Amino acid sequence: MKIIKKLALGLGVAAAAQMTQAADSGFDLATVNPEADRVALQNYFESRFPQSEISDYVNGIYAVDASSREQWEELEEFPPYEFAVEEGETLFNTPFANGKGYADCFENGGVGIRQNYPYWNKEAGTVKTLEMEINECREANGEKPLKWAKGDIAKISAYMAWTSRDKPINIEIPSDDPRAKAAYLDGKKFFYAKRGQLNLSCANCHVQGANIRIRADLPSPQLGHTSHFPVFRSKWGELGTLHRRYKGCHKDSRSKPLSHQVEVYRNLEFFQSYMNNGLVVNGPGARK
Amino acid sequence: MKKIITIAAVLALAPTFASAESFQEAFESNRAMYGKNHTFEWNGKNFSTNHEEEVEAAVAATKENALDLIAKAKAKNKEAAKLGFEWKLTGGILKDAQKAADAGEYRKALDLAAQAKYHSRMGIQQHAYAQSNWHLSVPQ
Amino acid sequence: MRKLTTSICAAGLLAMVTAAPAVAGAKEDQLALGKAVYLNKSRGNCVSCHAISDPDATQAGNQGPPILSMKMRFPDKRKLRAQIWDATKNNPLTIMPPLGKHWILSEEEIDAVVEYVYQF
Repeated sequence: MKIIKKLALGLGVAAAAQMTQAADSGFDLATVNPEADRVALQNYFESRFPQSEISDYVNGIYAVDASSREQWEELEEFPPYEFAVEEGETLFNTPFANGKGYADCFENGGVGIRQNYPYWNKEAGTVKTLEMEINECREANGEKPLKWAKGDIAKISAYMAWTSRDKPINIEIPSDDPRAKAAYLDGKKFFYAKRGQLNLSCANCHVQGANIRIRADLPSPQLGHTSHFPVFRSKWGELGTLHRRYKGCHKDSRSKPLSHQVEVYRNLEFFQSYMNNGLVVNGPGARK
Repeated sequence: MKKIITIAAVLALAPTFASAESFQEAFESNRAMYGKNHTFEWNGKNFSTNHEEEVEAAVAATKENALDLIAKAKAKNKEAAKLGFEWKLTGGILKDAQKAADAGEYRKALDLAAQAKYHSRMGIQQHAYAQSNWHLSVPQ
Repeated sequence: MRKLTTSICAAGLLAMVTAAPAVAGAKEDQLALGKAVYLNKSRGNCVSCHAISDPDATQAGNQGPPILSMKMRFPDKRKLRAQIWDATKNNPLTIMPPLGKHWILSEEEIDAVVEYVYQF
């Protein structure tokens, strides 16, 4: 009997120990700790690529792969997105039919604010992205919303990023609204869960598989991922938004991709951008 | 105290060693090694390595059977989509199955519908697995 | 029409079992299929992660180990087949897609790619 009691106690202790372990890891709403996640991710890449500066991760694969960096630096000397930024500025400053403009919808007239996006909007109870608010601004002023993937919306977003260059990314997860943390957790979960016929998580390529060749391509490290969007991709031959890239990546796992600005994509952007806190905005960027 | 924990751990592990592999494990390892149309023994009985969808497709190649399996596959794929785990090619396979059925190629339609239904089931299974295992790859 | 196909198939089978050169031909066909599966992006796309000393396998990736000493690494060919069928069984986090379990390749294509890589 005594032995049984002892065994039962042992089992109880073992179970308790397991629970403590789970509590430490931040995989549920009670324990998720964005700041600990951010530090852990930085530490992970620091030990993977000790030669690279953390601040350089905004440059994607070129932060860790010296051989492709030179080519990219040459490309950035005459940036392919330059014309699009100019067009974006013109679009941004062209008044709507009612005489108002984008500057009236955003803080600080829309200049130098990219680093605060996406953010948790308590009233709406959802994550708001910059592109989302560009279209909301249009609709509030009686204009038709723009198409999400490319074109004018990407150009306007590019101009707004351009005016925010070198500002430190500053994503806040307000502690007075548990739904904000839940959105972060949802994005984190999306990033690390395997999906699609190819059974790939974002992390498979952009954490474990970062800077390891898939055919001739090198996947970029997840740290720094969103800083340079919208992006001029040589493969597209034009500027595109972050969610256009998300859809493409999602499809590469042989999943049926979701729609632009769907909740889980915005939560993913929220999670990824939080990981970049302290790094600087460098959009728009140029990539392969 | 340490000893007790060790004993507890051994006790906790013991049933895993004692019980034979689950049917699912036995099925998968046999399908993995031998492919389809192979017979294996599990708990004293014989089983085939064919997927349940392949068994469903092994019926008379009639219009009725083809349309029935296509409908089942479509419903399954909808379930996967609801979870956000619909696969990229499933919709196209279902369209091809329908085209084959329209053209009177009922065998082809049945086989394609079986594949689409299987893909949907795997997507649903993948979602369930992700719910409890997504955290395994998070850097600590 | 179906009868005709069946009889052609039967004739083919008969030829395969009776004539040795035809058997060799079938083996060659299987290896060619395996190679196509290995290299083709919309089929196995194995080359995207595994280098192999086949002169046609250019621009191989290195996410996975190179394909060499296969007979030594997998004395039991069925274990190799199982690894290709579902690599997550041994490592749930692997980047390698479960080519059989997720019906990315048909069982015939898996048999073929096993035979192809087993030469290296």
